[in-house]
Amino acid sequence: MSGAKWDVAVIGAGPAGLAAAIAADKAGARVCLVERESRPGGILKQCIHDGFGLVRYSQKLSGPEYAWRDIQQIKERGIKLFTDTFLLGLERGKERFALTLQNSKQAVFPIAAKALVAATGCRERTARQVFIHGQRPAGVYTAGTVQRLINIGGHLPGKNCVILGSGDIGLIMARRLTLEGAKVLGVYEIKPEPSGLTRNIVQCLEDYNIPLHLSTTVSKVHGSERTEGVSICRVDEKLRPLPGSEEYVPCDTLVLSVGLIPENDMLLPLGTEIDPRTGGPVVDQLLATTLAGLYSCGNALHVNDLVDYVSESGEIAGSAAARSALGKQNCPRHVPVIPRGDIHYVVPQKLDIAAGGQGIIYFRAARTLADASVEISAGGQALQQKKYPAVRPPEMERIVLDLALLPPGTKELSLNLRG
Amino acid sequence: MAKRLKLVAEELARLGLTAVYPREWRRSIVLEGEADSWQQYIDAGYAAAGKGYKGVVNDVRVRGLEAPREYLPPVQGGALEGISYDAVIIGGGVIGCAVARELSRWDLRVALLEKEDDVAKQTSSRNNGMIHPGLAAPTGSKKLIYNIRGNRMYTQAAAELGFDFDRCGSVVMLEKSLYQLALPIVRVKALQKGVDGLDILSRRQVAQREPNATSLQHGGISLPSTGVVAPYKVVVAYAENAVENGAAVHLNTAVLGFEMEQGRIVGVRTNQGLIHAGAVINAAGVWADKIAGYADDRFFTIHGRKGTIAIIDKALGPTQKGVLALPRLGVKTHTKGGGLNPTGEGNLLMGPTAIEVPQREDWSTTAEELEFIISRHLGLNRQLRPRDIITYFAGVRACTFDEDFIIEPSEHVPNLVHAAGIQSPGLASAPAIAQDVAAMAVEILKTTREVKPNPAFNPKRRLAPELAKLSLEERGEAIKKNPAYGQIVCRCETISAGEIIDAIHSPVPAASLDAVKRRVRAGMGRCQGGFCTPALLEILARETGKAPSEITKGRPGSQLLVGETKTPQGEGSGHERS
Repeated sequence: MSGAKWDVAVIGAGPAGLAAAIAADKAGARVCLVERESRPGGILKQCIHDGFGLVRYSQKLSGPEYAWRDIQQIKERGIKLFTDTFLLGLERGKERFALTLQNSKQAVFPIAAKALVAATGCRERTARQVFIHGQRPAGVYTAGTVQRLINIGGHLPGKNCVILGSGDIGLIMARRLTLEGAKVLGVYEIKPEPSGLTRNIVQCLEDYNIPLHLSTTVSKVHGSERTEGVSICRVDEKLRPLPGSEEYVPCDTLVLSVGLIPENDMLLPLGTEIDPRTGGPVVDQLLATTLAGLYSCGNALHVNDLVDYVSESGEIAGSAAARSALGKQNCPRHVPVIPRGDIHYVVPQKLDIAAGGQGIIYFRAARTLADASVEISAGGQALQQKKYPAVRPPEMERIVLDLALLPPGTKELSLNLRG
Repeated sequence: MAKRLKLVAEELARLGLTAVYPREWRRSIVLEGEADSWQQYIDAGYAAAGKGYKGVVNDVRVRGLEAPREYLPPVQGGALEGISYDAVIIGGGVIGCAVARELSRWDLRVALLEKEDDVAKQTSSRNNGMIHPGLAAPTGSKKLIYNIRGNRMYTQAAAELGFDFDRCGSVVMLEKSLYQLALPIVRVKALQKGVDGLDILSRRQVAQREPNATSLQHGGISLPSTGVVAPYKVVVAYAENAVENGAAVHLNTAVLGFEMEQGRIVGVRTNQGLIHAGAVINAAGVWADKIAGYADDRFFTIHGRKGTIAIIDKALGPTQKGVLALPRLGVKTHTKGGGLNPTGEGNLLMGPTAIEVPQREDWSTTAEELEFIISRHLGLNRQLRPRDIITYFAGVRACTFDEDFIIEPSEHVPNLVHAAGIQSPGLASAPAIAQDVAAMAVEILKTTREVKPNPAFNPKRRLAPELAKLSLEERGEAIKKNPAYGQIVCRCETISAGEIIDAIHSPVPAASLDAVKRRVRAGMGRCQGGFCTPALLEILARETGKAPSEITKGRPGSQLLVGETKTPQGEGSGHERS
């Protein structure tokens, strides 16, 4: 009943999963890749704008171009790719993970894998999750849905659009909607500063004269069939609506770019520990979760702002999963990484000091700081320091730590960010 | 006669409602005049209730307030002109659809008219799906009779119609230990009312049964007959079985008036033409008073009472076995207080609120109501956090001022039956109400013709495969027969293209995104349609032969797209069909 046996199974063929599968194959593992859509590439398929690959390839690629490079490698290496295939069930057996898959051709079939890489990406926060009230008319979409409708379906979802949230997808869609002939009336951001990358503010809003309204949010959607307008209001420094500041903006579409939530629902029954700050599993620098043999990467681990780092985490998880499956992994010895000062979150949350080599540490600032510095220390001893002209919560930071620097007997590491 | 009118006048005066004038009409009381606020309007209605009148008609105008707006489908035509039916049911909620199914047991031409684009669009889908045990229904009320009977009937209805019914039981917890003294009395009451089963639980027993229940409880009562259903699925099931047995369901069909002859209804005027009717059943929910008025039989007024409900992520479903409630005694409301209840699909529902609203079709939610639900109910289960809320919605209950069901043949129109004022526990009572209402309609028809049983009646609804209920082997077999069952479209709820296609071609076809959602839950999960909306749109377009830009979320006018890309602005909606 256990079906085909693999060393490593990768769930999700977006950029993280593609990189993980390639890395696992390079490390000598027999690997398969499971994708629920009909083509690999994940969300990159609908990201037809450029700006991908600056770190990884020193080139500005579109999303499909970026994905194509990895997809070519999957083909060349002959890595088994199940498309249109849904993960129906997942259990941890004694030696292997037992996966139940479903597709139209093979119906329901089991596979088994010694190690598993969860590269399931993230989903978008919805209107109700940011407490927008009113009836539920047509014309309220998340930015990713709009992107898919336009770029893959060739459908235009609206003509007069209000965008809530200045996350990158929201900004990109402001430009995209404008290019498709829709009018973008404005982008509204509840926080006092934009959430997206500065280059997107310039290239997607300023270049098209689309106004950005900070400290302003949408409180209500009007209309019962199709959206007829939204109520917007200004907020105070604690993000509470300012009484009397409400205004009505007529529009037929509300596009939401109000945050992404890592998708790890399939892991919950396995009992993997989840970090409430990232929404992803607790991992070490090899991206091993608290469940032996299970690895996490990409936006399922924590929401990234650059795909290059999504691929990087996929590579780390894929090769570590392969080594684990092939029995090449040393017995881990973990010490926690404690976020201090103005750190919002840190990934990994712990280090396997038995693994040696380098560890990549990703973190986000809890607030915007000028002339910031981050210090990694162990037992009161500073190991590494990095200075930044500025750190902002929307921009992920990355430090490479040489584990050889750790003093013997290290019990914990701390990562301290100060302005 | 004059005595009770005087009582009403005195009570109105005591409330300071000096511009409200009561008068008697037939056996009912009519209130006229003016009030300053909706609350005053409501107060006036209740002042006239319980004084021995058949009903309260509240025609008081509220200064500065807009009259309730009623949605009418933007469809005109003669599609139904001149068609003759033995029985015409007005309203495609749970009552109307269940009556249609009960009438389809007879050899009759039955039609159900629904002004919305689907059945179960208003109160019947906008509730928490609770099948109440009957304890809260007042002694001597129709609510009690139908609730007790209806609750018992759900087991068989679920088996025949193939909807999920979980008799999960409820625990009503006590806020103060002092209330334990009242429990023996509650037990006697429950026995008298006919409630099926009641156990008194100590604080520890409550904690054993529901380990995540609030620690603020002081024991409670367990009501094992309480159940839950997905209310929209119950309505769809009744409607489908009615259609399978020969009834017609006409959607986007609004009743605009009656043609009367010698006090009888002979024709039902609709936006789709004039329909001839032998008997008419008024199951029009929040507009039942308006329909009664068309036959000059408006002896009651409906007022809307809004309830907001929040949906909790499925991941928290296993933290609770049954319904949990902690009624706040001493707070006078017309609701039993709401609580937290499981659903067949695994989510928990929290609420509802109970707010008097002038607009009967305003299902908007507000921040205040959501905050109220959170503050009042979230803590009943210690595992829940506000971030576990995936979405929330509101419904409007159709209440009379007497707060009881009206289930009777009209006293003045010989071929009209009213099923009105159906609010909580209306869903729980529906199977029993439908039985009686159908019998009343058959009695009416028997006065003019012979009524024979429908020889082809099949109480079992034909069920399309529901993959979530199949074993892996059965699922595999289903996919081998129809590969569309292998393709998952809604990943949060694991719904396949095949199930969606089945819903689109079902006896009451799902023609919109929301209609698909009501039948197979696609788009109802934690991403709320973010991932599957584009795919659903294309499946709907393909299966119905429409252009994607014609596909709606619900009612006509709720198109999801304005057109295709690469078309000049302003001409986006014009394109050829594929």
